[in-house]
Amino acid sequence: MLFNFLCRAITRDVTKVRLCQHVQSLHTGCLLLATEKTLLMKLRKSTGYTFINCKKALEKFDNDIAQAEAWLHEQAQKEGWSKANKLEGRNAKEGLIGLLIGDKAAVMVEVNCETDFVARNENFQQLVKDVAFATLAHHCNNTQRQTGYIKSVLVGDELSKLGVDKGTSLADKVALTIGRLGENMSVKRAVTVGVPADWHIGSYVHGGLSSQAEVGMGRYGALVIFQGGKEGEQESLGRKLGQHIVGEAPLFLGNMDDLPCGESETRLLPQTFLGDPSRTVAQFLRGKQARVLDFVRFQCGEKNKEETE
Amino acid sequence: MAALVGLRACFSALQLSSPSLLHSSFKLCAVPLSRRTFAADAKKTYSREKPHVNIGTIGHVDHGKTTLTAAITKVLADSGGAHYKKYEDIDNAPEEKARGITINASHVEYTTANRHYAHTDCPGHADYVKNMITGTAQMDGCILVVAATDGQMPQTREHLLLARQIGVEHVVVFINKADAVEDKEMLELVEVEIRELLTEFGYDGENTPVVIGSALCALENREPDLGINAVMKLLEIVDSYVPLPKRELEKPFLLPIEGVYSIPGRGTVVTGTMERGIIKKGDDCEFVGHNRNVKSVVTGIEMFHKSLDRAEAGDNLGALVRGLKREDVRRGMVMCKPGSIMPHQKVKAQVYVLSKEEGGRHKPFVNNFMPVMFSFTWDMAVRITLPEGKEMVMPGEDTSLMLTLRQPMVLEKGQRFTLRDGNRTIGTGLVTDILTMTDEDQCHWG
Repeated sequence: MLFNFLCRAITRDVTKVRLCQHVQSLHTGCLLLATEKTLLMKLRKSTGYTFINCKKALEKFDNDIAQAEAWLHEQAQKEGWSKANKLEGRNAKEGLIGLLIGDKAAVMVEVNCETDFVARNENFQQLVKDVAFATLAHHCNNTQRQTGYIKSVLVGDELSKLGVDKGTSLADKVALTIGRLGENMSVKRAVTVGVPADWHIGSYVHGGLSSQAEVGMGRYGALVIFQGGKEGEQESLGRKLGQHIVGEAPLFLGNMDDLPCGESETRLLPQTFLGDPSRTVAQFLRGKQARVLDFVRFQCGEKNKEETE
Repeated sequence: MAALVGLRACFSALQLSSPSLLHSSFKLCAVPLSRRTFAADAKKTYSREKPHVNIGTIGHVDHGKTTLTAAITKVLADSGGAHYKKYEDIDNAPEEKARGITINASHVEYTTANRHYAHTDCPGHADYVKNMITGTAQMDGCILVVAATDGQMPQTREHLLLARQIGVEHVVVFINKADAVEDKEMLELVEVEIRELLTEFGYDGENTPVVIGSALCALENREPDLGINAVMKLLEIVDSYVPLPKRELEKPFLLPIEGVYSIPGRGTVVTGTMERGIIKKGDDCEFVGHNRNVKSVVTGIEMFHKSLDRAEAGDNLGALVRGLKREDVRRGMVMCKPGSIMPHQKVKAQVYVLSKEEGGRHKPFVNNFMPVMFSFTWDMAVRITLPEGKEMVMPGEDTSLMLTLRQPMVLEKGQRFTLRDGNRTIGTGLVTDILTMTDEDQCHWG
């Protein structure tokens, strides 16, 4: 603003008096303005914060980019919180399921946002990844001495209190991403499973579009806990079972000897197997000498009643 | 409006006239008044005076897409080109929401000096793609709305990616909320940045029109420079920058055959509804489809038992063709301008698979699934090959698929079709690419 004013005042003078000295100062004035502009562009590009904030930061620290950047990061956290509070209550039904397999343990999380545009954004996917890793870390810390089968479901508050790095909680991370992307988001639920040494975890994520390698992401996800299966084939077996669970959406496990009752079968074992319609899942498992013990299915944006499953 | 004027005229007449004249003045007003109210109640007829263009808005949730739409209707309502729709009226149809069907496109219509527009506003990526495939809302051009206060958001990239994907070639940028920024330089920077982004996505960033304004100002009648005038300017630019879609009449003619009859003493007559183009008596024609290819000449055209010299797209007609037996042609083939269209057996398509709520399957399907494909007047068994890296398709999803037909049928890029399995419609799609058959595909059909 100051430069602008100066510039204008000077131009007026120049037209009136036309002295060399004035011309010179006009020149330098414009130059300074230009550097500020490029600085602003540079800062905006490197940080991605809004123009208004970048400008404020530069003004505050007299065009010192390093300081401005540090201030912006600090500010982003605060703004994220205020924005998160403002957007709270807006409907967030889109989002992603994140699935992370560890050593004899696995987590599946659901993070919601408002539009699927955001679900495709890298920043959002990074958030899903952070949530998945934090949940897995939490699981490993809690269950070091236990050896049996553990399955725990986390919702709402328990999740947001989890720590990501030292000092920051998941809630902080979410707020930061909300500030960045400007949409309401929430970490809806997470499930963690840990299995004994001779059990296996199979997984499948459907509708994935992410480029993140470690964490599978998509609109549907399934974890399946099973025993047996031929050595070396367990991974593909788990994947096939996971795929079936995502596709056919069973609600219960059922027994190996259950008789199938038609199209609307909701028990997993008597269902017709997706990959081979001539057999039921139970028959398929017998062929592979495997036994399914438990499964979890997540669908993005589904209603709460299935959360207990 | 008209009724109101009439009423006012009536009142003023009442005031002026003496009691003795009162009766007569009533009589005078009564007739036009009643006629006017009747006209307002009856449904207006759509007059096709201006060319029609479909336009949509994309952009971040909070950047004012809906406010801009409301502002456009308000500004045009003043000049009689639209009905003013309030912000709340534009947001999605509640009935559909309640039934769990996501027809999220809200349609608003308006006319500018030169054109008639249908304005679409879809809230998500999947909704746009679904609309593109099912054809409920094609977009000839779109307005990218960016708030000056925020600049482009990180997900603006995804918005442009979508515009590319659904084939929108003309984008106009509206920088909204300019009233909330006091510094003019900021606006320039936002503009520079959005131009860079457009170029990055293969649009002509340098020459893309950018309008700076504030939809809110236009709604609240403040600062006409940013408000009404900016909206008017935006509309002018959309008028000139987005080209008219090519008319169906200008294309080579195509008649999907619905029935074939032999009329004793005259010859063979094919019936159907003209898909596009114009046909005249004496035109050469070709019959394609069902592994057949016959050439002939149209010797007569009839519509509702009256003969005519020329028929155009949309007409339901019967055409008398020279030298053909009834067995030479059958339903499902098309009559077209020779060489204008070819039969194909293998295509790539973008398909929307109906969800259970929409009447589709409730189960997913996998590779080698065999539904029946319906398009124009033909139907044919088809084998589905999923794209690489995809193992199954869930209901409610859109996906790219490879389709291999049992027999070559008339197919071209941009043609729409339906997939059915048993007695259920499972999906609808759009041909995106024509592929050549390999020997391997051939032996799959035995």
